[in-house]
Amino acid sequence: MARSSAHFPDPPSRSVPLPSPTSDAMYHTYRSDLSQVRALVLKQAKEAGLAEGRANDLVLAVSEVAANTLRHTQSSGTLAIWHDEDEVVCEIHDEGTIADPLVGRLRPAPDANGGHGLWIVRQVCDLVELTSDASGTTVRMHMSLRAPGPRG
Amino acid sequence: MDLLTTSVATVESGSEPYTLVELVGEADVTNSDALREVLDAEVAKQPRSLVIDLSGLRFMDSSALHVILRANRAMDRQGGVVALAGPRDPVAKMLRLTAADQLIPVYRSVSEASAG
Repeated sequence: MARSSAHFPDPPSRSVPLPSPTSDAMYHTYRSDLSQVRALVLKQAKEAGLAEGRANDLVLAVSEVAANTLRHTQSSGTLAIWHDEDEVVCEIHDEGTIADPLVGRLRPAPDANGGHGLWIVRQVCDLVELTSDASGTTVRMHMSLRAPGPRG
Repeated sequence: MDLLTTSVATVESGSEPYTLVELVGEADVTNSDALREVLDAEVAKQPRSLVIDLSGLRFMDSSALHVILRANRAMDRQGGVVALAGPRDPVAKMLRLTAADQLIPVYRSVSEASAG
């Protein structure tokens, strides 16, 4: 895929690796069964104390990112999920490459023929970190456990 | 058991019959092609209105949404209308976030949709 911003250097977030998941993170590899991925995220998010609405938001976000694995790669993806007292974090890693660092930051037209997935992810999560290079893409989605309540 | 089941009926109501497509389960990228085939087949029959019952849907992702938006465009071109009925909270929120609810009317139930 051609880079859309060839004149600009990579933003720092694309070259600095994310800190490692906590040692008690749970891992799940998927290739085609996203229902299983969603069930796992819902269970873990609720057990961590995330309210129902926000747990469903996280399920939607993870499912959208995992769907990109099915659409854009020939290999499996990995879900990691962990939490501490502050937040629940889900990370999806696959072998795909995202060339546009702004992906999902601009609202697609409602009838656009694609591009809603990462927009939704950025709307429902408290923080989204994305790194992508030749070795693959990692998307880390954070949901605070201290937020006052469900949003929107 | 299939992740998503679809059923289609022609409902005689008042003056004009409408097509009712009921979706039950989870609609995502793994079954959006099948959903597209079902909706394409119904759109091709050129009904005056097509009501999609979402009340049995536990989950919907953007792939399924694109299929529904595509059916809406096709119906619009042939002078028909699409309505969505009964989305549960997560699905309703998704329709709101993408502003799809600005393009397709969303009703609380099939009876409201068919009356509207």
